[in-house]
Amino acid sequence: MSEFSQSRPAAPIVRRSHGLFGIDLASPRHANKLGYLLLAPAALLILAILVYPMLLAIDLSFHDVKFATLSFGADDYTLKNYQRLFSSPEFWNAIRTTCMLLLVVTSISLCVGMGTALLVNQQFRGRSFARMLIALPWAVPEVVAVVTWVWILDASFGVLNWLLLKAGLIGGQVSWFSSPGSAFSAVTMVMVWKGYPFISIMILAGLQSIPEEFYQAAKVDGANVFQRFIWITVPCLAPVLGVTLVLTVLWVFRDFSIIYVLTGGGPVGATETLAIMTYEEAFSFFRMGYASSIGVVTLLICAVISAFLVKKTSHAIY
Amino acid sequence: MKRTLLQSILLYATVIVVCGFLLFPIYWMIITSLAPASALRSFPPQFWPANPQWSTYTNLIFNTDMPRWLFNSALVAIVSTAISLLVSVLAAYSLSRYTMKGGEAVGLFILMSKMLPATMLIIPLFGIFRSLGLMGSLWSLIIAHATAIVPFATWMLKGYFDSIPQELEQAAQVDGCTPWGALFRVILPVSAPGLAATALYGFVLSWADYLYARTFLASATHNWTANIGIATFKGEYQTDWNVIMAASLLAALPIMLAYLFLQRYLVGGLTAGSGK
Repeated sequence: MSEFSQSRPAAPIVRRSHGLFGIDLASPRHANKLGYLLLAPAALLILAILVYPMLLAIDLSFHDVKFATLSFGADDYTLKNYQRLFSSPEFWNAIRTTCMLLLVVTSISLCVGMGTALLVNQQFRGRSFARMLIALPWAVPEVVAVVTWVWILDASFGVLNWLLLKAGLIGGQVSWFSSPGSAFSAVTMVMVWKGYPFISIMILAGLQSIPEEFYQAAKVDGANVFQRFIWITVPCLAPVLGVTLVLTVLWVFRDFSIIYVLTGGGPVGATETLAIMTYEEAFSFFRMGYASSIGVVTLLICAVISAFLVKKTSHAIY
Repeated sequence: MKRTLLQSILLYATVIVVCGFLLFPIYWMIITSLAPASALRSFPPQFWPANPQWSTYTNLIFNTDMPRWLFNSALVAIVSTAISLLVSVLAAYSLSRYTMKGGEAVGLFILMSKMLPATMLIIPLFGIFRSLGLMGSLWSLIIAHATAIVPFATWMLKGYFDSIPQELEQAAQVDGCTPWGALFRVILPVSAPGLAATALYGFVLSWADYLYARTFLASATHNWTANIGIATFKGEYQTDWNVIMAASLLAALPIMLAYLFLQRYLVGGLTAGSGK
């Protein structure tokens, strides 16, 4: 830096600018004005495309409307949507399905993600190539992943049925999408396949930041592989795991494309999550007010879950 | 740590088996797209194409709307990412460097928007776009995708800017830069990798969308994106899996290539952005 400032000795040390609105933004007195100015475009855009629609949706949820209106408080406010929602068996079924999916997909993805991350964290030749390949499904768009899996799971000529038949695990061809249980497992398979790479990437980054000395010290103390994993790896990964878990849970909770293209929520509502129910009510039955109320409930549940998880994992660090 | 030969072999075998297992769907997509249609309706399935049918691809490119849909996907992704990044860079810099009233609130709202279900947001957006006459137009998608990209890009870039020492701008200002100059001539060039990673994520986010595209573009076939095209193929050509898989591969390829070549930046950005 010193050579740089010496090369232009004639220039004033701080050049005053009077460009914007005649305000000298470089002076400490006005420094924050520049901050606001920089924030303004994003704030305005967020107000227009996120805050306003969100308020509109909340407003809609208190109105008995068939179609989305843009005026606030057009009719009298009513709790009809929420009353109907909480007394509807379909809603409780969707809650149950969403929670089951959440539990199954998150735990399996976490296991696969952790396993793959630990595997490619070993030292071997070609490790960086293996790291690249192991998270490749991350880069496959959800619709493409679903369509590919539909073909793999095809009842008559799908490769999975062929393999299972060959291995003698099934007696006849399984029609994956016609029974509730198998449709649910199909959704789980695809979601895990799309979900584990992110977890793997995050855990691998976390693993790389654990100092090697920790392991060496534990080895000196006679800890075996399993003990080292439980007492060093897991605690050191806790913050990363927390963030990853929150993001994965939010993804499973709100994802639409995978289930909608794969099963459409069927058969008989076995894979209908809150997201699918919201969309169906809004765009198949055009009950926009009712659909908004499901959305509001989903949002609240998401907020509670992430607050809980963030709290839990921040406890785990200390 | 030295391994015995047996341990090395075991490790490599595990890596190969696990990779093979997890990447099988991608492999199967490629193999199916090259197989002749008749071979797909026979057992046992062919695990290696005896005579690859490249005509499936030329057919798809010259005789269907697929190229147009891919172009639409790219156009929407580029424009929405560009607009979002423009405002996000400034906002992220501001949130990272200035302490302002309301700055905290913006930060909090950005976090909350990560929890906003898209299936709920789409309801008011549907009403708004209808009254603005944007239904069926690509602008509806560009705006809808910005609702996801702006908060996420702002958050990710804020994390990136936080990691750049403030002394850098102070030095630039001592040397005669205006605050604008310090941002555009010093900070932005230094953050090029972070900007690239954020832009790529924005692109991926937009490219992968199906929900908004399906809802806003339903009847405007010429404005469809690749994802709606593929989902529709799945319904129409029930048994021509080679065509569907070829179209799928074309739609997945841009993102997969970007991932393979730019993995280092992407992973850095992903972990930095969400670690905060």
